[in-house]
Amino acid sequence: MCGIAGFVSSETSPSDRSVAVERMCQAMIHRGPDDAGLADLNGATLGMRRLAIFDPANGRQPMRSPDGRFTLVFNGAIYNFRELRRELEASGHAFHTQCDTEVLLAAYVQWREACLPRLRGMFAFAVWDSVEQILFAARDAFGIKPLYYARRPRGGVAFASELRALFASGEVTREIDPASIGEYLAWFTVPAPRTMFSGVANLPPGHWLRCDQLGRVHTGAWWHFPQTHGDIAGTYDEFVAGLRAQLEDSIRVHRLADVPVGAFLSGGMDSSAVVGLMARSGAPKLKTFSLVFGEAAYSEQSSAQLVADTFGTEHHAELITGERVVGDLPKIIAAFDQPTGDGINTYYASQTARRGGVTVALSGLGGDELFGGYGSFTDIPKLNRWLPRWRMLPQAIRQTILKRLQARPDTRSRKLVDFLSHARDLHELSSLRRRVLPEATRLDLLAPEARRHVERLGPHHPMLEDFAFELAGADAFQTVSAWEMRTYMADVLLRDSDVFSMAHSLELRVPLVDRVLIEWLWLQQTAFKFNPRILKRALADATRGIVPDAIKQRPKQGFTLPFPLWMRGALRPFLDEVFSTSSIAACPWLQADAVKQLWHQFINGTDNRAWSRVWTVAMLIQFCRQGQAA
Amino acid sequence: MKIVLLSPELFRAEGGIARIMRVYLKALCEICGPTGEVRSLALNDTNDFVPPLNRYSNDRLSEHLGADRRKLRFVWRTIRLARDADWLVCGHIGQLIAARLARTANPMLRYALIAHGIEVWRPYNFFERWALRGADRIFCISEYTRRQMLRFCPGLNPTRLLVVPNTLDPNLSPKSLTTASAQPTILSVGRLVRADDYKGFDTLIEAVPAILKIVPEAQLRIVGTGDDQPRLQTLAAQLGVSEHVIFVGKVSDEQLSDEYAQCTVFALPSRREGFGLVYLEAMIHGKSCLGARAGGTPEVISSDTGILVEYGNVPELAVALIDLLRHPCDSEVVRRHAESFAFPHFTNHLAQALRY
Repeated sequence: MCGIAGFVSSETSPSDRSVAVERMCQAMIHRGPDDAGLADLNGATLGMRRLAIFDPANGRQPMRSPDGRFTLVFNGAIYNFRELRRELEASGHAFHTQCDTEVLLAAYVQWREACLPRLRGMFAFAVWDSVEQILFAARDAFGIKPLYYARRPRGGVAFASELRALFASGEVTREIDPASIGEYLAWFTVPAPRTMFSGVANLPPGHWLRCDQLGRVHTGAWWHFPQTHGDIAGTYDEFVAGLRAQLEDSIRVHRLADVPVGAFLSGGMDSSAVVGLMARSGAPKLKTFSLVFGEAAYSEQSSAQLVADTFGTEHHAELITGERVVGDLPKIIAAFDQPTGDGINTYYASQTARRGGVTVALSGLGGDELFGGYGSFTDIPKLNRWLPRWRMLPQAIRQTILKRLQARPDTRSRKLVDFLSHARDLHELSSLRRRVLPEATRLDLLAPEARRHVERLGPHHPMLEDFAFELAGADAFQTVSAWEMRTYMADVLLRDSDVFSMAHSLELRVPLVDRVLIEWLWLQQTAFKFNPRILKRALADATRGIVPDAIKQRPKQGFTLPFPLWMRGALRPFLDEVFSTSSIAACPWLQADAVKQLWHQFINGTDNRAWSRVWTVAMLIQFCRQGQAA
Repeated sequence: MKIVLLSPELFRAEGGIARIMRVYLKALCEICGPTGEVRSLALNDTNDFVPPLNRYSNDRLSEHLGADRRKLRFVWRTIRLARDADWLVCGHIGQLIAARLARTANPMLRYALIAHGIEVWRPYNFFERWALRGADRIFCISEYTRRQMLRFCPGLNPTRLLVVPNTLDPNLSPKSLTTASAQPTILSVGRLVRADDYKGFDTLIEAVPAILKIVPEAQLRIVGTGDDQPRLQTLAAQLGVSEHVIFVGKVSDEQLSDEYAQCTVFALPSRREGFGLVYLEAMIHGKSCLGARAGGTPEVISSDTGILVEYGNVPELAVALIDLLRHPCDSEVVRRHAESFAFPHFTNHLAQALRY
């Protein structure tokens, strides 16, 4: 796990490029405290900060191929590097380290971009070809590791693992894109390929990037959900046995490291399965980490402790209070380079794990997306069955119903208006289901400058057409699952996990977001994977005899913090200040009156579910204030 | 082979569908064979002879009729023309029900639909689904359109949906002797109508200030007219770039060819192009193209022939245009790419699709 950076520009002097890349690397020391490196090449400069996981004594980057033609910087982990190494040795490649970086470089030399489908792991890397004068970069299939880039108007491209690094280079201007404000309010985040900033792009998951010597960038997708038939189980028992084997295999490869490995343990089904499988696979005295709260309704302490006791792990439970969050907020907000309405739980869990003595931690992230843990898996197919009947109603009746619903101020009615007005099929329903703010509320909150962009882009997710294109032929479960993976998981959960784990120099691994596992699971019969009456039945059955029955029978809780209570208590002074007129002025794309009304409605109301909408807006305002101060 | 071709219009109005339907007429006349015949029926045209018809047909065209916008007459004539035909090729989904009815009268008839773009990217009503499921072929102008049809009509047999990319009108090959203007020029072409605001003309105008910072002498020329022009002119004035944004208006084919020849870059950052024939027209003049990464556009613009940007992302659009103005793609490579979509290839493609 590292931070990588680079600057491609034949029109910039090598010394200026080096200064820029050096600055970018300096801004990412937290991502890689163990080592640093910089290579000035003809036409490009590459740099990195390293958090050493495999072969800490070797594997320095940027790494050059034996003939000096290719130079690599790499962030992530390739779990099948030992298998690839054997294959590459048979093709004549010689290796001098026990590090995955050297294998990745040889794989690129051998297969060029065709190496990507062979890689099992999480990665963002860039290779400079000094002969062709081309930069090739790529990101893993699900976006576990980030890669941002910016094209300079006068030519040249800068890239880095974090946005703050790009701005630190002095080559990229930190200017908020008004169009991104509306996107953030809709999706909790600014979906790739946009970022919060003008002229700065986020390479989407499963994409490559090629930059020629003129600094011209082309991108394309290298991974799609599989279309072909594979190893499909004929019976449910075969499926369960196959899933168990896949899960065990994923845990086996994700545990590989030359440093201490632990796990997050919330006490839910997914993290319990991961910890159980790790313990079963012979992990020596496993360390597990969870968060506990004084607010009993939110705490999963007893479940986490039960799992820890079952597997005999060395369990660390960290007490988080509203007062502690208030004290840490400046550090938390400073850790993210784009606002987020989520992720504070990962911040504390990562901090606890690092303090607990591990450098790598495994998380159960992804279980809801793969095994139908969200309400969307049941809601969306139901709504999809009703849509044709709705469309058969006469226009006048539909308009009357919509007008009545629009007149209601509650979020539920407004979301229903969105579905009925803008959804035509499963994809459009899935797109709208993930929205934080309904369209009418979003428009109310935006000043005319930002509203203009929202009206141009429309109410749907910006990648709607791409996902619908990719998922042609997918059934309802696959469609919802893919949408959850491509949107909330990629743009919010994985991004926040990277940012907040890296803030504590912790490598966070997600064995359920494993390409091999997902490709196998994707092709299996939906009836085996998902039963709307029994939550995550497939995962429960595949981990039978491992995860305690008490955990399987618990209702879903999620890895959530008691925000509704804190926002009305310890966090209230902070939020009162954030929602003051002078603070809101830092974000001129918002309508101050409407924003204040949102806050007052929450404070004076009883709807706890509204906390995320209010918190999302608060983080945006605070982010703009921070930018102004900077 | 006896073929009936149904079109919304061929000559009455000038639009993207009319232009491609004329090319279909010409191609079908070549495909039907020495003993075959083609009968043409256009909903909006009249029966009057129009001179350009000769350029788009040969002696295999036995009848060319218009229904003068009368739908009942159109359906009746469709059934009559198709009573002993082998194939009926339908130029618009709105006419497909007439094709289905014609098959009821002639069970040996096979019928095909030409799916152009946005008109088929939507849910279908009962009658449309009935007619679509009976279609023996659906010629989709891009893979994107093919997938959209499968998305909105999941019961369709995917093997019947074939991609037949559009082609350039062989009668409109570039004859312009005009050379590129010395002034860096971005050209855009299309209808400036409110209903088509997805074309992205406003984003092009919004990109101009950033472009002028790096290329101060650049100009944007917009060919086309419509009810959205006043809004676009106001936008240019608000941004203070009126002098650099020229609304050319409606032009003849020859003038359009000159515009293509004189520009440095062609740009249409549209969100919903089924194919984007204008990109091909620009490419045959050797011009680099800029389009949005949306609809069928990525199937026409390659990395050797231009740049794709995200729809609505003005900063990205500006940087990409600066890039192409400063370093246009190799015009010979661009021209060769356009030639891969030339009329002979199209005719072969269509002949194979009908025989498949």
